[in-house]
Amino acid sequence: MRNDDPALDDLSAVADAIAAGRLTSVEATEACLARIEIWQPRTNAFLRLHRDKALAQARAMDAELKAGKRRGPLHGVPMAHKDMYYRKGELSTGGSTLRRDWRAPVTATALQKLDAAGVVELGFLNMAEFAAGPTGHNVHYGHCRNPWDATRVTGGSSSGSGASVAARMVYGALGSDTGGSIRLPASACGVVGMKATYGRVSRAGALARSWSLDHVGPLTRTVRDNARVLAAIAGPDPADSTTSEKPVPDYEALLEGGVAGLRIGLALPNDGPAPLDAQVGGAVQAAADVLGRLGAKITPATLPDFTALYRAAEVMVKCEAASMHRPWMEKTPELYANQVRTRMEAGFFIPATQYIDALRLRAHFVAEFLATAMEGVDTVLLPAIPFPIPTIEETDTENKGGPAVLKMVAGFTGLTRPFNTLGVPALSVPCGFDSNGAPIGLQLVGRPFDEAMLYRIGHAFQGATDHHKRAPI
Amino acid sequence: MDDKTRTAAGIAAHLQGMKYDDKRLAELAAEVEMLNDSVREAAAQRLTFDDDPAAFAGLMARGPRK
Repeated sequence: MRNDDPALDDLSAVADAIAAGRLTSVEATEACLARIEIWQPRTNAFLRLHRDKALAQARAMDAELKAGKRRGPLHGVPMAHKDMYYRKGELSTGGSTLRRDWRAPVTATALQKLDAAGVVELGFLNMAEFAAGPTGHNVHYGHCRNPWDATRVTGGSSSGSGASVAARMVYGALGSDTGGSIRLPASACGVVGMKATYGRVSRAGALARSWSLDHVGPLTRTVRDNARVLAAIAGPDPADSTTSEKPVPDYEALLEGGVAGLRIGLALPNDGPAPLDAQVGGAVQAAADVLGRLGAKITPATLPDFTALYRAAEVMVKCEAASMHRPWMEKTPELYANQVRTRMEAGFFIPATQYIDALRLRAHFVAEFLATAMEGVDTVLLPAIPFPIPTIEETDTENKGGPAVLKMVAGFTGLTRPFNTLGVPALSVPCGFDSNGAPIGLQLVGRPFDEAMLYRIGHAFQGATDHHKRAPI
Repeated sequence: MDDKTRTAAGIAAHLQGMKYDDKRLAELAAEVEMLNDSVREAAAQRLTFDDDPAAFAGLMARGPRK
């Protein structure tokens, strides 16, 4: 789709147009600002918009380009990020009231890398309080709303990242994923979200939810865009000892391999925390059929024990969150949303032996996953969210609560959180729309550090479909 | 108050310095029991004396063996 509004183009097209001199960074930034003016009141995606600073940055990027300096394939591209990426001296709320006025002492490594790549920063985006919530509710700053239907949730915790990319307010955004927080908003908002392998992207300067499970990653409109942003932020970092020294592949150069001859395991699990909805299952089956027609061999996948993986993650996140939040939990517990505080409290009661055993189990879980689910296949394909996107009211645990609501909220992460325990890469790609007109996402899961394979398959899928080209109106 | 809730009350008051009402303590006791049981069962099936919690981080930092 070609339109005179550059905000409707994808990140790669805009970056290439800037590089070729067909578009300036200022024009791209102004186009985003015009979209933000229309869509911010509908979505509440931005917590802070840096209009003047972004335009100044854009002018500087244009001047550099005019002087013959191009920083790289993201030069001059406007993005915005979940409000948990620290920028030295600037506010960083983490979606909380406890950090409403807090200023970061350092700049996140991921932001430093995007700065070096020439990205223009439009501002910081709404998120679940302390990245703890799969729906996008936020009682302190207002709920983020799905651009496809403002009564429905965006998914969380990277709610503003999903909404802003879907509404074409930005070309891409950083999110973070501890139990699905990139993939859920990507799925619910109809964009692409990558949780790369644990250690692929530095977590330094990103507000922690759980050190063992947190992953930094991009949300974008296309798989190509996502590959481009991941390549810019991935790699080793002395400030994060868990980052890998493994070289970062040129993901974009590997996109065009096609899927002919690849083996794809298809899983439509109906035994998770929430049963699989027929519409969602049908859309994911249809996606597998598309890949089959492109030459991939589709086989049934054997999934690992999701309950064990899910609960091991729960033990880790509750213990680690309780540890880091203890001072505030003791002194000012009333400053948390109830659903955020109560999700951490069990961490004070879980014995250290159980926490350590959960950590010790992870290497075993990975070995089992590679030997079973990944045996003989290049990726496992399954839904990201097992049911159609519910409304904000239906999932309001703060004011409504009750076992049914809590079960639905837990069901959001049933198919995503296990892959945080495993640390393997997982990509969410839009694959259809439900009867309410809300997006459906499929999830591609791969071997550690095989992001390139997931991108290759996702790119082939997007080449044969147009779900990602549809924009909310 | 049942035994598990009483245990949770003791941990909260005497080991963690946290205050919860009896209803919340009962909920927490049930939640912790479910999580503990799951991890204990998985551990019994898989872990040996020499399993090191750092093995996962090493595996991820090193990358997969083909």
